[in-house]
Amino acid sequence: MKLRFSKTVAAIASSALLVMAVPAVVASSSGAAVKHRQTLPTYVIGYEGPLSGGNLQLGLNMVFAVELAINQNNANPHRQFNLKLARYDDQGDPTISPTEAQAAVANTKLIAIVGPAFSGATAAAEPYYSKAHVATVSPSATNPTLATKGWNNFFRVVADDSVQGPADANYLVKTKGFKSVYVVNDGSSYGAGLAQAVATQAQSDGAKVTTATVPGTGQCNNGTASATEYQAAATQVVASGASAMFYGGYYCDLGLFLGALSSSGYSGVVMSGDGSDSPALIQGTTPASAANGVLLSCACSASNNAAFNKGYGNLANFSATTATYAPESYDATNTIIAGMKALLAQHKKITRANLVAELHTITFKGITKVVKFQKNGNIAGSAIYVNKVENGKIVQLGLE
Amino acid sequence: MGSFGHYLAAHFDTLKAEFWYLFVGGVANGLLYAMVAVGYTLVYGVLRLINFAHSEIFMSGGFAGYFVLRAMVGATVPAGFMSVLIIVLGIAAAGTAGAAAATLVERVAYRPLRRRRAPQLAYLISAIGASYFLFNLAGKEFGHLSVSDPQPYINHTVFTIFGAPVLMYDLIILVVSVVMFIALDWLVGRTRLGRGIRSVAQDAETASLMGVNIDRTIAITFIVGGALGGVAGFLYGLNIGVVYNMGFVPALKAFTAAVLGGIGNLRGAVVGGLLLGIVENLCVVFVQAAYIDVVAFGILVLVLLVRPTGILGERLGRTA
Repeated sequence: MKLRFSKTVAAIASSALLVMAVPAVVASSSGAAVKHRQTLPTYVIGYEGPLSGGNLQLGLNMVFAVELAINQNNANPHRQFNLKLARYDDQGDPTISPTEAQAAVANTKLIAIVGPAFSGATAAAEPYYSKAHVATVSPSATNPTLATKGWNNFFRVVADDSVQGPADANYLVKTKGFKSVYVVNDGSSYGAGLAQAVATQAQSDGAKVTTATVPGTGQCNNGTASATEYQAAATQVVASGASAMFYGGYYCDLGLFLGALSSSGYSGVVMSGDGSDSPALIQGTTPASAANGVLLSCACSASNNAAFNKGYGNLANFSATTATYAPESYDATNTIIAGMKALLAQHKKITRANLVAELHTITFKGITKVVKFQKNGNIAGSAIYVNKVENGKIVQLGLE
Repeated sequence: MGSFGHYLAAHFDTLKAEFWYLFVGGVANGLLYAMVAVGYTLVYGVLRLINFAHSEIFMSGGFAGYFVLRAMVGATVPAGFMSVLIIVLGIAAAGTAGAAAATLVERVAYRPLRRRRAPQLAYLISAIGASYFLFNLAGKEFGHLSVSDPQPYINHTVFTIFGAPVLMYDLIILVVSVVMFIALDWLVGRTRLGRGIRSVAQDAETASLMGVNIDRTIAITFIVGGALGGVAGFLYGLNIGVVYNMGFVPALKAFTAAVLGGIGNLRGAVVGGLLLGIVENLCVVFVQAAYIDVVAFGILVLVLLVRPTGILGERLGRTA
């Protein structure tokens, strides 16, 4: 009996000690934060994009940026809420994305989505997100029609495809002052569409425009034409007397064209769009020096923020500088976080619907651009970046 | 009709202004086509078949030359004797690689079929198989992206013809191809070996009865055609870069040139190649580059309608 009593006392005493001691120890080591942790609410931000399959790399590029933004929020001692990341793998596939969207909507803690990554998947998922008032901020879906469907919850931090062509034309004619522009397309639907947009805008800007189709070559897997066609095509460009040439197409064929232009004595400027915005352009140009001075536009931003690059590299184990759409994904996530903070500052509740309304008015300075949305969810401003090949490297000059 | 006349007049003015520019480029392209076309025609002469793996012989020469350039060209562009040395080494490597690839194709894809007296169709399938195997192997080993050759010379204007600049590159093609064509013409027309090739082309069975070693003759024909194709691949890559499937389109054009000139006729292959190259370049004045192939193949059809055997269409045995 005595023994049992003493055991019970000891147990009670020791557990009492523990109960008292644990908070004391934690409180003394990390101070006020602990009180917060017990009372801070947790919200979920989802990412929808390809996290398996052939487009995995693009999804990885994005999801690490989302995770970085969330980790940074959770490490902030002055934070007002905790965040959790939920991954929704749609493989970039429009047939999978509705299922993922419904799973995301069913998660009651989920407040917003970064994504969907691909245009087709976005079109298929948006009806579900829209009905549930879940804000979706895409870092990469660029199909122009997405902004025309009347989805109030749809936002994107990247310019759509219809913006690039006119912006490029304005850059050449208005900013750079070229009076005569030779516009070439490679016969692909992408190249022809972009070149058409450039030609139309350049003409209305008052430049003399000559257009030509120089089809993609078998050498580049962009068609069946012979790579020897560029010598003749380059002669035509020189003969036209144009001081600037725009190429709507992909890097490999542009590389061949640049070689021919340089040996034909072309001294004007060459510009191309995001299809050519790749270091492979320089590798594929003979001689490589012929690529110097080429202007390349892209709705995507180079990753120039050192702090972001460092944090991203530590998390992802690959460099942010080669991760297309990583900076945009970081901005998309931080715009959502800024929207949530803004709601609290206005003493509003953080709900899905309130966040959608807040994102329509927010102005947030991200690492790629100042994020401000138009009424239809498109990013405001031109948001097209112009890059230039300098000494065999692609250098970002800034917004057009 | 008036507007069409106006269209033609305007374009003839452009043609007058640009003729020599386009002509020089056309000759250079045409000589490359001709070097490849000769390979088709040689093999056709002795085996009566189209070597569809010839595009990969072209590609192997391109890569061999590329590796020589990569090893020898440093940070600065070489000049003078060094340039000549590098180009000669590149040609030697590309010719050797082309000959080796052609020998491989002959040994693996053709000779076993010949031993078994397989039907012609089997050779065709076997050649296509060899072609797919080789370019996919190249894609696996060397990657699927086009890479540019390091430049072994400064591609400046050497002289002008009626105001049109002839670049170093054009001159190299001219010199190399003309030397090779003359050597080939002499080899086939004047040597004992050439007599063997011609006799096999004329009548293989009788030739063997006369003591011509058919296996050896066929092997040598592949080596000669392969070397020319390999060198053409190197010269092509010098300006355009190399990639695993680089051979497909030029070889198709060269095949067209060989048929245009008269398949089986060596001089016909050269004429066909030059004609195709020049016409292709000049037609850019009248139609956009997108229609080059339409014009080229349109001409082929027209020529074959009038002369089904091609421009110089006779059998290798009788003319060369």
